[in-house]
Amino acid sequence: MDDQKPESVVNDPTLFVTAASLRGRSDWFIRLRWMSVIGVMTGVITADQIAGLPLPVKGIVITALITAILNVGYILHNRRPATSLNNEVRIVKVQMVMDLILLTMLVNLTGGIENPLYLVYIIHVIIASLIFKGKEIYQITGLAVILFTLETLGEHYRIIPHHHLMSASETIHEPLYMLMTLGAFWIVLIVAAYIGSTFMKHNRAIKDDLVQRQKELQDADKAKVDFFRFVTHEVKSPIITALSAVDLALDKNDGNEIVDNMLGRASRRLHQAIEIVKDLSDLTRGGMKSRGRKEKIDLAELTKKLLVSRKELIDSRNLILEADIPSSPVQVKGVPDKIEKILVNLIDNGIRYNHDGKRLYIVLMDVGSKVIFSVQDEGIGIKPKDQELIFEEFYRTPAARETSTLGTGLGLPIVKRFVEQMKATLKVESEPDVGSTFTVTFRKRL
Amino acid sequence: MIERTILVIDDDIDLVEIIRVTLEGEGFKVIDAQNGARGLRLASDEVPDLIILDVMMGEIDEGFQVAYELRNREETREIPILMLTAVVDQTGFDFDPEKDAEFLPVNEFIQKPVAPRELVDLVRKHLPTSV
Repeated sequence: MDDQKPESVVNDPTLFVTAASLRGRSDWFIRLRWMSVIGVMTGVITADQIAGLPLPVKGIVITALITAILNVGYILHNRRPATSLNNEVRIVKVQMVMDLILLTMLVNLTGGIENPLYLVYIIHVIIASLIFKGKEIYQITGLAVILFTLETLGEHYRIIPHHHLMSASETIHEPLYMLMTLGAFWIVLIVAAYIGSTFMKHNRAIKDDLVQRQKELQDADKAKVDFFRFVTHEVKSPIITALSAVDLALDKNDGNEIVDNMLGRASRRLHQAIEIVKDLSDLTRGGMKSRGRKEKIDLAELTKKLLVSRKELIDSRNLILEADIPSSPVQVKGVPDKIEKILVNLIDNGIRYNHDGKRLYIVLMDVGSKVIFSVQDEGIGIKPKDQELIFEEFYRTPAARETSTLGTGLGLPIVKRFVEQMKATLKVESEPDVGSTFTVTFRKRL
Repeated sequence: MIERTILVIDDDIDLVEIIRVTLEGEGFKVIDAQNGARGLRLASDEVPDLIILDVMMGEIDEGFQVAYELRNREETREIPILMLTAVVDQTGFDFDPEKDAEFLPVNEFIQKPVAPRELVDLVRKHLPTSV
């Protein structure tokens, strides 16, 4: 119901509306009021011309005009920016009081208790109970009760004129009928106010609670990410230092093959450790949706760039690269880093888990509102039972472990997470020792 | 040939030692400081030919602060600075050497880990009037 700002609820539990949200309500009243003016005018013309009811048309039209003029006044007020909450509360109260007075005038002009129009008071009370809380609701309810009671008693004791709705009706001068109507009216109004306010109180409590919990969750998430940044940095530093030492030792080694061999292995594994830390960091940091600005990215250009940078690697494995990439730009919208990670991981997997001398087939296709990117290899493949597990952190199939010690077990989980964030889809088709095809379908959203 | 002095400011003593061995093997003199304040004092006193500065020491941006201070001081203003950074997306705050370099008073960002050869080449490239 309320479009109040969450922080106002969190910071001040007594505050349940903001100046802006109240202004929104006030604008809504203005629209409702125009409809009521139109309704009254249409109604009075219909009643007078078609139904032939003996209504004081002039009085009713004047009431509608006053309503219209006041409404214009409210519009002019609302053109100025909402400054303070108190100010907005005051203007909404003024509107409600004036509406009740005008309604009472209309009720009087259209037959008083003869006319079920007085049910409209209930609407005012319900609206008040939705917007205000506690004493304001009962102030408005009290005013409605007093106005309608005075109107009815006034007509009953002939202090103010009674306008007949039905020509011969004299119910207003029947004390019992009048008292029953008033009694029912009071009860309905007070019960309506009570139900409305209780319901809204409950509603607000739930909302406050939700806002509070959401804030706690956000804080916890931020704490987790901060902690993770700290840990990855603390772990990465010693690895980098160790790697630098190993590389220096390799550099200084004069042809001792065993030393070269061993230090080379150490260096590769340390590089792998850095990759794992980087991937883990991507996974946690990338988990935050807010990170990174979306841009238009040309996948054709990006794919070509990535393939050029991997040419040496592809050649060293004697792979036959077949790339089916359009010569014109193929644009999608997304966070550049994340899109690149998706492509890099899939291409590198296609190289890493291929058999030497086999085909690596890369396709990029622009199909209307979607873009399809797929990497097909003729390598080790994935058993059906492993095809879901490969998207779990650190899982590597036995065949993958055998083929390469250098995978991090995080590449596909990263791909999966980023694909989900982009509302793209990822499909894997694979058969052991025949090969795998990974297909990402991006939505363009340009 | 005059001996060139390189000042290494880094709180990782092992990394300092690795850089020392690398550069001394190439005939450079290496002096070092483990924190920003000591680094600044040494830079002013010794006026080295080049400074290698780690981006993250005790505080997350200590390296940046040191770099700005070096550029502020008359006697160290002209000394080339090579800034060592951890892998960029891991620094924990958003900065991009390619885009932000012009706002930062250093001559080059070097991403760790850097191969010994590469470090020597970069040092030679930035040494004033070196051939």
